[in-house]
Amino acid sequence: MKKLIVASVGVVAALALSSCSGTGGDAGPSTELNVYAWADEIPQTVFDAFTEETGIAVNVDNFDSNETMISKLAAGNSGYDIVEPSQYAVQQLVGQELLEPLDKSKIEGIDNLAPKFADPSYDPGLQYSVPWVWGTTGLLYNATCTGGEEITSWTSLFDPKWKGKINMLDNMLAAYIAGLQVNGYGADSTDEAEIAKATESLIEQKPLLSGYNSTNYGELVASGDVCISEAWGGTSTAKIVEQNPDVHYVLPEEGGSLWVDGLSIAKGAPHQDAAYEFINFLLRPEIAAMATNDGGLASANAAAQEHVTDQGLLSNAAVYASDEQVANADFIVDPGKAMRFYQDGWTRVKAS
Amino acid sequence: MDRIVNGIARGVFVFLYIPIVAVIVYSFNAAGTNTRFDGLTLQWYVELFQDASLMQTLRTSALVAVITATVATIIGIMFALGLARYRGRGRGALMALIALPLIVPEIVLGVALLSVFSTTKMPLGILTLVLGHLIVSLPLATLVLMSSAAMLDPSLPEAATDLGCTPWQTFTRVYFPLLRPAVVAAWLLSFTTSFSNIVMSTFLSGVGSTTLPLKIYSSLKTGLTPSINALGALLILLTLVIVLLVGVSQMRRILVESRT
Amino acid sequence: MTATTRAIHLGRQEKPKRGSLLLLIPGIASVVLLGVLPLFIVARNSFAVADDYGGITDGLTLENYAKLLDPVYSKTLLFSLGLGLLNTVVCLVIGYLTSYYIVSRPTNRQGFLLLLVIIPFWTDFLVRTFAWITILGSGGPIAGILGIFGIAGFSVIPSNLAVVLGLLYSFLPTAIFPIYASMRSIDPSLKEAATDLGASWWGVHRRVILPLSSPGILGAALLTFIPTMGVFVIPVLLGGGKDPLVGNLIVTLYTEFRNQPMGAAVSMVLLVLMLASMALVGLALKRSSTKRTTTKKTEA
Repeated sequence: MKKLIVASVGVVAALALSSCSGTGGDAGPSTELNVYAWADEIPQTVFDAFTEETGIAVNVDNFDSNETMISKLAAGNSGYDIVEPSQYAVQQLVGQELLEPLDKSKIEGIDNLAPKFADPSYDPGLQYSVPWVWGTTGLLYNATCTGGEEITSWTSLFDPKWKGKINMLDNMLAAYIAGLQVNGYGADSTDEAEIAKATESLIEQKPLLSGYNSTNYGELVASGDVCISEAWGGTSTAKIVEQNPDVHYVLPEEGGSLWVDGLSIAKGAPHQDAAYEFINFLLRPEIAAMATNDGGLASANAAAQEHVTDQGLLSNAAVYASDEQVANADFIVDPGKAMRFYQDGWTRVKAS
Repeated sequence: MDRIVNGIARGVFVFLYIPIVAVIVYSFNAAGTNTRFDGLTLQWYVELFQDASLMQTLRTSALVAVITATVATIIGIMFALGLARYRGRGRGALMALIALPLIVPEIVLGVALLSVFSTTKMPLGILTLVLGHLIVSLPLATLVLMSSAAMLDPSLPEAATDLGCTPWQTFTRVYFPLLRPAVVAAWLLSFTTSFSNIVMSTFLSGVGSTTLPLKIYSSLKTGLTPSINALGALLILLTLVIVLLVGVSQMRRILVESRT
Repeated sequence: MTATTRAIHLGRQEKPKRGSLLLLIPGIASVVLLGVLPLFIVARNSFAVADDYGGITDGLTLENYAKLLDPVYSKTLLFSLGLGLLNTVVCLVIGYLTSYYIVSRPTNRQGFLLLLVIIPFWTDFLVRTFAWITILGSGGPIAGILGIFGIAGFSVIPSNLAVVLGLLYSFLPTAIFPIYASMRSIDPSLKEAATDLGASWWGVHRRVILPLSSPGILGAALLTFIPTMGVFVIPVLLGGGKDPLVGNLIVTLYTEFRNQPMGAAVSMVLLVLMLASMALVGLALKRSSTKRTTTKKTEA
């Protein structure tokens, strides 16, 4: 009996104690930086390079959704310096006064950003965020499954022909991109009647769906369990497309949408100097390119493109959608007061 | 009829191990995805050990689970012994109180605790994780211990006192040996509950205290890496090593006794 | 009884009582500070108003509860209760049979079998769930084997069948353990006696084993039914997320909708329902135990 306790406690305690060596003990100001980011969007290689150059140790924690990150920051006292909110989350964080305004005099290299991100609607003048990676919301389909038919429009997601073989992202704002655009409205609509019409379309669509899934939909499309899925462009989608010649990612002719995950400084960040140093480091073209080289994501940094080792990615819609492809794409921004219309609608869709 | 029951029961054991076998098999899968099988590789195990951040989260989970399980078991023993000897009114209410956290959805408890900790200015980290896990594992640990404590002869403490034992001696020499199997079961149950918790951890982890399930959950967006299968397979191995180390026979005894 | 002996007697009775109260304090304090206190906040929030950014304003309103009268919520609640009941029944039947099997093994093998039941749960929940997706999906081994026999297109992912399977998997140990515990304390001679008196297999179970293991069965029912209400990952990953459970509703309200007051209101309703079901089980237990004592008395 004693043996059991000694053995099991011993094994785990040994594991546990060695964890203390991870965080630097006697940290003065700016020898440490606490980052709260999407998993793998800032590659480990970037953190390693930063630590090597500056001597600043970086603690990285990941969140699974903007909402989780916001509730952590809203509780106050989180201890994070750098957070990586998506575009609409920037607005929500600013609305709750959870971000520090960026001191532009401390930031170098902001001109490296692509023009479409220099003055975005969700954060005019980039007062609170510096775009890091971006992507699109579009369609992922399996050509074997569709019998060779090319899918080019959201209407396919609402077509009874594919009954039981359609997947939608399990995310309210993402689902409404298709719901609104298929009706000819903008994906950032705040109009009650338009949102109600989109809700109707989504309710009509529901019997046709295989399901709502925003985690492993890529694998479902690859395996043929699902023929067509609404999808986020980015690492996992690019990987699926690369591994399966039959699987294609396209932006719908109605426009689709753009998402951007950027770097912001949390209110009351304990290591602000290090945070600015980190932002400047990530604005360097050769570092920004690592988001593509090591993370498989499109960098918001235009100057980074020449440092991308696999230049083919620059014309791969699942990673870098071209300017003409994204010409009609809408930024999904925080709907503000119209949020209620979306929520009421989505509740109805889910319960129908 | 008994033969049919035996058949069903054996089927249940197979059923329980189906996904475990799959995890082990797919941890050697050369294809980077679970949808195909492309031959054998050890690549994912190599990647696993190179993944410093994943190993760090494993250590955090282990630390939190050990502390949680130990604290939950100690409090559980005290409560179970106290309740077994308590003859006053409101026994039912006390039992309901200790079971209360079981019937509140974890997300509700997690968010509410987050606001409690933020009003008291308690920084998020290992401590808040332990407190959060404690409240979900304490009811389970206590319920296991209570069933054992209730079987103890109520005259034991009197006998011990008559023999000149101090209360502490009564506990260490009389109670603890009798409760030992239940103590081990309660500890293991709390450890498992804490080690696998996602929801409380989501809201109560802080800088540098991401747990393993949190790490796995947050990497769902970019797709689970096959290294996760490798880690799952390794944890099963670790379990088996512990079981063998302790000796299957001892484990049997512990579990049989603890469940009476 | 003389005054002195009474004093000694009283002293003895009171001393352990005070001591036992002290022993109860850490447990009570933990639950009050970490469980009841947060619940008060939840209860308060269920009457509050959400602001535009997911915060909570100081207002006091009944609107959150009034909104719950909308049929969309009752539909989700009814579906969850239905699925919870189904899962509970399936878990109880299989848990009962498995427990019976374990109890009928030699004593020295029973612990090992119980250990076999819990080991799978020391792997991560998501890892196990993804393994099920692989197994039941079209690229998995079942589809492969069926494919050899010319049956193409097998896949039960996503489906409600997969959800039931996933729930059964997750809750089976919680059902087996309490039932096993109460079955073990049944005197084996009772079963033999019943068999000798010519009772059929079914008769032995209906008249002897089932009634005597009812406390464990009721306990297992609670431990299965209540947590099923809070489940939210299984319906999405295995079921396609088309039929949300109360757990999904609460998670959506708390996270995606950033509407804590509404989420709190749903939680309070769920809490009351669960407390009611607990009280019902408690009552059932009490009745069955009094019934048993009265039967015993009549028999005597």
